[in-house]
Amino acid sequence: MPKLTIDGREVEVEQGTTLIEAARRLDIHIPHYCYHRGLSIAGNCRMCLVEVEGAPKMMIACHTQAADGMVVHTDNDKCREFRASILEFILVNHPLDCPVCDQAGECKLQDYYMEHGAAGSRLDEDKVKKRAKAKQIGPNIMLDTERCILCSRCVRFTDEITHTHELGITERADHSEITLADGAWLDNRYAGCVVDICPVGALTDRDFRFKCRVWYLTAVDSICTGCGRGCNIAIHVNRDRPHKAGGARVMRYKPRENPEVNQWWMCDEGRYTYKQIDHDRLTEATVEGRTATVEEALDATGAALRKAGDAVGVLVATTATNEELYLARALFAGALGGHAAYLAPPQGEADDLLILADKAPNTRGAQEILGEQAADPVAWVKEKGVKAVVVVGEAELTGLKAEVDHVAVIATHPGKATEQAHVVLPGSVHAEAEGSFTNLAGRVQRIRVAVPPIGGAVETWRLLMELGDRLGHPFDFAFEDDIFAALADQLAPFAGLSHESLGRRGAPLGSGTTQPAEVA
Amino acid sequence: MAAGDNTTTGETLSAALAAKEVEVTCFPEELREECDALRARYETPRAALMPLLWAFQRRYGYVSREMERVIAEELEIPLIWVRETVTFYTMYNQRPVGSHHVQVCGNLSCTLCGARETIRMIEEELGIAVGETTADGRFTLSVVQCLAACEEAPMMQVNDRYYGRLDRQRVREIFGGLE
Repeated sequence: MPKLTIDGREVEVEQGTTLIEAARRLDIHIPHYCYHRGLSIAGNCRMCLVEVEGAPKMMIACHTQAADGMVVHTDNDKCREFRASILEFILVNHPLDCPVCDQAGECKLQDYYMEHGAAGSRLDEDKVKKRAKAKQIGPNIMLDTERCILCSRCVRFTDEITHTHELGITERADHSEITLADGAWLDNRYAGCVVDICPVGALTDRDFRFKCRVWYLTAVDSICTGCGRGCNIAIHVNRDRPHKAGGARVMRYKPRENPEVNQWWMCDEGRYTYKQIDHDRLTEATVEGRTATVEEALDATGAALRKAGDAVGVLVATTATNEELYLARALFAGALGGHAAYLAPPQGEADDLLILADKAPNTRGAQEILGEQAADPVAWVKEKGVKAVVVVGEAELTGLKAEVDHVAVIATHPGKATEQAHVVLPGSVHAEAEGSFTNLAGRVQRIRVAVPPIGGAVETWRLLMELGDRLGHPFDFAFEDDIFAALADQLAPFAGLSHESLGRRGAPLGSGTTQPAEVA
Repeated sequence: MAAGDNTTTGETLSAALAAKEVEVTCFPEELREECDALRARYETPRAALMPLLWAFQRRYGYVSREMERVIAEELEIPLIWVRETVTFYTMYNQRPVGSHHVQVCGNLSCTLCGARETIRMIEEELGIAVGETTADGRFTLSVVQCLAACEEAPMMQVNDRYYGRLDRQRVREIFGGLE
């Protein structure tokens, strides 16, 4: 394994490691535009030039492999001089439209200019005008070739990741432009990713454009709820400026790197599910169709459940978190001696990249925690003799009300289930509570609070605990991680895991218990 | 004036050039043998792209958007790869050209040796601007990228022949000697 020195520090890396990756091991960031770890190496932007002692010229760190004894400088005077020159070239035909550019604030040209350029323009001639300015190239994507630095990341994405080949670079030299193939439209299922990987303002998201300046956004780690893959995302929220974007709280999702799950990508189907967070939400409780306080609604359901004795059941949708599933199980199947099952997750199309057919984020968690699926909820309540039932989450339920004395629904959006409920309790979506999901591959991953529950909604886990209080089985959990701790304590696959140990990238079921070596 | 302006789409074709347009909607049998030989010569279909484009241009005088599609389908490669290649090289004509395609180098060495003045002079001699074709359909004038004959700067290529050290007299002689 080659051992080399970067900026005076030694590092040993695997054969074949590039200098940019070797430097990353030492937390040394080498500026770059075209290089992306998820794509092939293009080596065209030249921003990552570094000095390798003994080499006749500056080397690109993205493509130069580490060799034994190499001495590399990434930030000496020579590197800084080259970087400033490269940046000057890259900016030759770039317009100065940062004030009206949607990328401003998350633009690598701006970042590196402040860090490495910061020189006045020496261009006496007119800039070369490109053809496509603010041109729509797909349902969600805008192209601005004037701002493009031709790093080719988007082209490589459509060639190598989606294999859809919509984009290319046509013409040559300073007339080169990103172009759509004849008759093509950038509408593949992952098209939004080209916006994520565009280092400048050339590709922007039509859904997000001009809604909110990025420096007003707060990024919160979460998990996409679009399917059972559990793509790691950041939820970008606008917390303190309700005058922006008509008061919308959640502005967008961005994929977050996780090599074990989604690498750097996410699908458009999942990307735009953020709209459900603020759209058409249940914001107040109802009892028999009349608006009520949450307290009144809880009292009504509490009374109905008490009356039903052990003929009680809970049906939990696979959108519920592990924590909510655990509370449902502990209260209904445990303390009350009743029944608990999960509802069949909605099914859809799958593909061979990320999208799975199971369109719920926590089916695996439901399988692990509740075990039993109520494929036909009406048949299930009949079979179990359930007289009072609580439904957690949305479900395509019909005919339930006729079979039982009481239906309570803890839901976030109106639907079939809430239509036939005696009591509706407004619960929380994934962006409004701490918790965790277990993806279909069995990876347990955290979700974090991005925004408080909307309107009069209450965290679903709190509602379940309140029900416990009313039924004489109070839970003493102060926070969501206490619930997870109880879950880990009681269910073997979760043993040894905690919210803290899940970290930002999650952990597989079963990984929390390190088997002690057997003593002979 | 941008290199390659002559051969990209733009104003409608003159009658003389419009007559040279060829409709190719499926792979032409007359190029089948040549295409098969090219494909057999290279490891990947993409590698046969440039010579196949040449074969089309030799046969039809240019490579139309329809021909690009036919070639992409024949080689089973993405259409955009063909477009990238055709637009990168000034040697591929994207529409019909006159009988004599005058391609003046506008790159660095030639420019240092007066290519800008040479181009203006040729425009005067032919009575057309860069990108245009004479009314009789004889001459099309283009500015192209480096043709690798810097020692002869300023230079031009007319159809398949190079002519260097251009001045007004020499240009008149060259044009006068053409059919």
